[in-house]
Amino acid sequence: MSDNFNNNDINQNSDPNYWRSFEELYKDEKTLKAKHDEFKEGVTDNFEVNKDLSGLSRRKFLALLGASAALAGAGCSDYRDKGEIVPYNKRPEEITLGKANYYSSTCMGCEYSCGILIKTREGRPIKVDGNPDHPVSKGKICSKGQASILDLYDPSRIQTPLIRRGSSFLSSDWKTVDEEILKVLNENSDKEIALVTHTIVSPTLLNLINEFKVKYPTTVVYSYELFNNSIKNSAWKKCYNQDSFPLIKWNEANIILSLEGDFLGVDGNKIENVRLYSEKRDVMKSTDFNRLYTVEGNLSLTGMNSDYRLRLKPDLQYDFVLSLLNEIVLVKKASKLSIDSNALTELNKFSLTSFIQKNKFDKKVIDSLVNDLVANKGNAIVYSGRTLNEEVHIAVNLLNEVLGNTSLYRDDASSQASSGANLTALSELVEKLKKGVVKAVIHFDTNTLYHLSSVTNVEDSFKKAVNITFAQTVNETTAISNFVLPTNHNFESWGDAKVRNGFYSLVQPVIAPLYNTRQKEAVLLGWVSDKSAGYSETQYLEYIKEYWNKNIYSKVNSLLSFDRYWYGVLHDGVAKVAETVSQSFSFNTIAYSHLKSETKSNSGFTVLLQESYTLGDGRYANNGWLQELPHPVTKVTWDNYAAISESSAKKLSLKTDDLIEVNAGGKKIKLPILVQPGVADDLIAIELGYGRKNSPVVANEVGFNANELLNLSSAKSPWLIVGATVSKVGGTYKVVSTQDHHSYDDSLIQDIHLKRAIIQEGTVEQYKSNPEFLHTKKHNLINIYKDFEYKDVKWAMSIDLNKCLGCGDCVVACNVENNIPVVGKDQVALGREMNWLRIDRYYSGTPENPKVSIQPMLCQHCDHAPCENVCPVVATTHSDDGLNQMVYNRCVGTRYCSNNCPYKVRRYNFFDFRDHFRKGYQKEASLELLVNPEVTLRGRGVMEKCTFCVQRIMDARQEATNNNTKIKGTDVQTACQQACGTEAIIFGDMNDVESKLSKYRNHELGYVVLEELNVKPNVTYIAKLRNTFPEEV
Amino acid sequence: MSNNFIDYILRIRLPIILFVAVTSFAITYFASRAERDGVGYTPDQPINFSHALHAGQMKIDCQYCHTDVEKSRHASIPAVSTCMNCHTIARKDKPEIIKLTKYYTDGTPIPWKRIHKVPDYAYFNHSSHVNKGIECQTCHGPVEEMEKVSQVKPFTMGDCLSCHRNAQSNLPYLTSVKNGPDNCWACHR
Repeated sequence: MSDNFNNNDINQNSDPNYWRSFEELYKDEKTLKAKHDEFKEGVTDNFEVNKDLSGLSRRKFLALLGASAALAGAGCSDYRDKGEIVPYNKRPEEITLGKANYYSSTCMGCEYSCGILIKTREGRPIKVDGNPDHPVSKGKICSKGQASILDLYDPSRIQTPLIRRGSSFLSSDWKTVDEEILKVLNENSDKEIALVTHTIVSPTLLNLINEFKVKYPTTVVYSYELFNNSIKNSAWKKCYNQDSFPLIKWNEANIILSLEGDFLGVDGNKIENVRLYSEKRDVMKSTDFNRLYTVEGNLSLTGMNSDYRLRLKPDLQYDFVLSLLNEIVLVKKASKLSIDSNALTELNKFSLTSFIQKNKFDKKVIDSLVNDLVANKGNAIVYSGRTLNEEVHIAVNLLNEVLGNTSLYRDDASSQASSGANLTALSELVEKLKKGVVKAVIHFDTNTLYHLSSVTNVEDSFKKAVNITFAQTVNETTAISNFVLPTNHNFESWGDAKVRNGFYSLVQPVIAPLYNTRQKEAVLLGWVSDKSAGYSETQYLEYIKEYWNKNIYSKVNSLLSFDRYWYGVLHDGVAKVAETVSQSFSFNTIAYSHLKSETKSNSGFTVLLQESYTLGDGRYANNGWLQELPHPVTKVTWDNYAAISESSAKKLSLKTDDLIEVNAGGKKIKLPILVQPGVADDLIAIELGYGRKNSPVVANEVGFNANELLNLSSAKSPWLIVGATVSKVGGTYKVVSTQDHHSYDDSLIQDIHLKRAIIQEGTVEQYKSNPEFLHTKKHNLINIYKDFEYKDVKWAMSIDLNKCLGCGDCVVACNVENNIPVVGKDQVALGREMNWLRIDRYYSGTPENPKVSIQPMLCQHCDHAPCENVCPVVATTHSDDGLNQMVYNRCVGTRYCSNNCPYKVRRYNFFDFRDHFRKGYQKEASLELLVNPEVTLRGRGVMEKCTFCVQRIMDARQEATNNNTKIKGTDVQTACQQACGTEAIIFGDMNDVESKLSKYRNHELGYVVLEELNVKPNVTYIAKLRNTFPEEV
Repeated sequence: MSNNFIDYILRIRLPIILFVAVTSFAITYFASRAERDGVGYTPDQPINFSHALHAGQMKIDCQYCHTDVEKSRHASIPAVSTCMNCHTIARKDKPEIIKLTKYYTDGTPIPWKRIHKVPDYAYFNHSSHVNKGIECQTCHGPVEEMEKVSQVKPFTMGDCLSCHRNAQSNLPYLTSVKNGPDNCWACHR
């Protein structure tokens, strides 16, 4: 068809029947011409390319597209730089990259000097655990020891010696300070040089101090501890003519009566005490439990673990003991000792019946206490706490004699005589300072001025002498010092310790000093030996070796040369020597004369000052992990407070957080109150160690300094002040805790832990008569899942609530192992604490006599984990060895998992807390060295939770693969398990039926929390058995 | 705003933008894939060390230098002192060995450029692989033929898992090998 057409045909002979316009119809010339053109005339008129279209012409666009592709290609063609690998120049022999080395040493955190193993990676310490070879601590250390590693890397450590010039400090060097200090020390005068120390446990240091005394004859040594056994020791001396009271065989006591004695908490060597105590709380061994009665003012850790607890103001303890004596000696006639008539007249002044009435004691409890004590003569122990007055200790010693309990005194070990150093010696020093007879005070790593806050104008008194202060961080004492000498951390130092007969332990450095610091002993040695110019880091080591060669090596009759012996001891951490000291205890009847009842004015409040569970005497105040570790009873963090009973608070119309003023012995402090169940009426209990001033950023102004209330002037207990007044002052102060203060009047939440069977417990009698008593009620469990078959190892944990005391050592161990940040008080107040493991504390009963239940709560690694189904990005899944996995780099932070977790164990990073807390304090370079390289640091917006220490599991798997064996449940210890002083935490393989874990898991007393949800948790709790008397079932 | 303008945006500008974005992304994505994964990365090293000479020609065992590979997560890069075991005597006059000796006598480490790297949140372990009999070359390529070491495998999670899930077919030289774990915590924790 197209053949017949040409252009002309179309244009000129087009079919006239089709037209588009009149012009076309009438064949207008112009129109016909226009049809020849492609575009209409003027089509490009008024067309500005850059105005109507974008600035791009097609050509430009294509050019640009090409260029950008080329540019992108070129930009990416260079590889990402992956940094450098910087190997050693000469590699140390003992280091395998990626593998930890362990060094034995000794913790110098308190006078008990536990053996430790320090884990180092590529030369930097990252974790501390107990040294199993140490005869006393046996592989366990407390929360303070665990957390002390943070102090090593503390960015606020003093990094160079400081000299006072006028009102400010000048950075200096060791040579200058040594010269200037030697000038002061050598100044020819008979003025005293005061050396203020804490308890000296090092025999070498003791030797050095003796040499120091020879060189500087005017030296007087003042050893003190803020909390010490001086009163108890002096009472013991009066009764038995020995310097210090013996330790107690807690593992053999059937009945324990503890009077204001927190022996499971802060009174005595906790690590040893809890181990021995829990031996008689082991359901796997026998149901022959000990029975613990406590009579105390404030609810303590020991009190909350006791079977029966009575509250009593500490100043009434004497009356109580005498009433007991009266009952046992005169009423029951059960004395094993003939008591002379003087004492009898004193006893006659008391009567248990009237005491019970007066103090509203439960008669049934007291009756059974007396019966128990009498029936278990020789196997019971009465223990008085160190804060009590001397006459109470004497009465208790007598009571133990009367009952024949002296067989429970350990004849091989006594409390350290040196820790008897008391605080009154320090007030003598202050008097001397006032008189101006002291030329220099050497504060040997003591915060003397903080502890002496109760002395009026203490700063002015000390300023009369030259103050030379050894310290790791600035504190109240460095503020007034003339010389501030930065001292090494324990992990940078050499040293030794002797805390018991029969062995010595060594301190060895595991890292070179991070800053320009020296260990205090070495500096002292320099001042003694005149060789201070030629200081070397091994100088003190040589001194120790010389001392050991002379005094210890010579005793052991070793076949090895000294050098080989030394390296052996260094490896083991302890050196055993043949020393047997066996004491016998013969009661001194003169002691009766000290039994004197005083007419007490029991009006007003009694103030009880207690040692902080976490901060010690304040020396750990700059340790964020310890500040944030919840108080074992009240769960308060970052503060101290005045604990007060509910009825006393009502009387003064006070409620928790109200500020009060305590006026005790003429000294006043202001602090908030906490209404605490179980506190005796008219008692104020305050923990010391807080309220630090002129201190580094973590410690400064946290809490309230109650040292100001210490009673240093009289011979009475400095920690117990009677006749105090309490008044309400305006305002409140928020005390934050990680658990709600329990409500007694809200019927909905009262006893919810029992109603929901979160806490299941019974009594020993109940268990004996029906071992299956827990499982009488069966839940109708519904399962919508197909069960997964776990073929090999399946990890599980068991927690024995009979042994768990709720101290929190496991929490700190977990924090250190898993790089858990400190969040600060403001964040704890919002419920954002990051601890993966928390210890829940529940009250039941009345506010006067609460029954306390404790339960460590951590990720239960449920087989049917509710968190896993709700994660939209599958960041939490299950592994084939039974672990509930959390993958940080996958998490987008919806928090659905946390919402769906019935145990509330997931923790969310609302901030990058390392950056957020105290303006990035935890991001300082030195703290980066503390990080465990096996655990990822979590960033903001990421969920995290307990991993069952998966890094340790993977490590053990590794080891097994390399040895071509199969991994066993016992190959892995979680950090919390390792730290637990009573071995309440058991971890292992539940598929191994022979394992310890399986035995616990399948025990009659085992239960899982919230069983009815059927999420199948892998953490089994062993129900607590209270050893109440049979009638009470 | 006139309808025309919206019309123009929707019909012309948007498609153009999309086209440009998608095209350039696609081009760069595919063109740079190897580089992103690091395949072919052959950086210049501070010392021109030749694996071809040492491991290939002289047949020095990998573990003479990478000592920790059987024991630890890290294979470990040798300390300068390891080189000096031979080079205190061997080829002392060569320029590269003079450089090496200088590092040694100065006591400074050699800042080698890192070639193989998995992210910080992935915990790879050399020893568990090597002790199962997996050869170094399986992941690192024929290092003994390389004058300058270069990355040959992508070292991505997909690459790890492809072998963990089909171990036998990826490692035909092993007589019997089980699949590796593929749960998250095997590598991420």
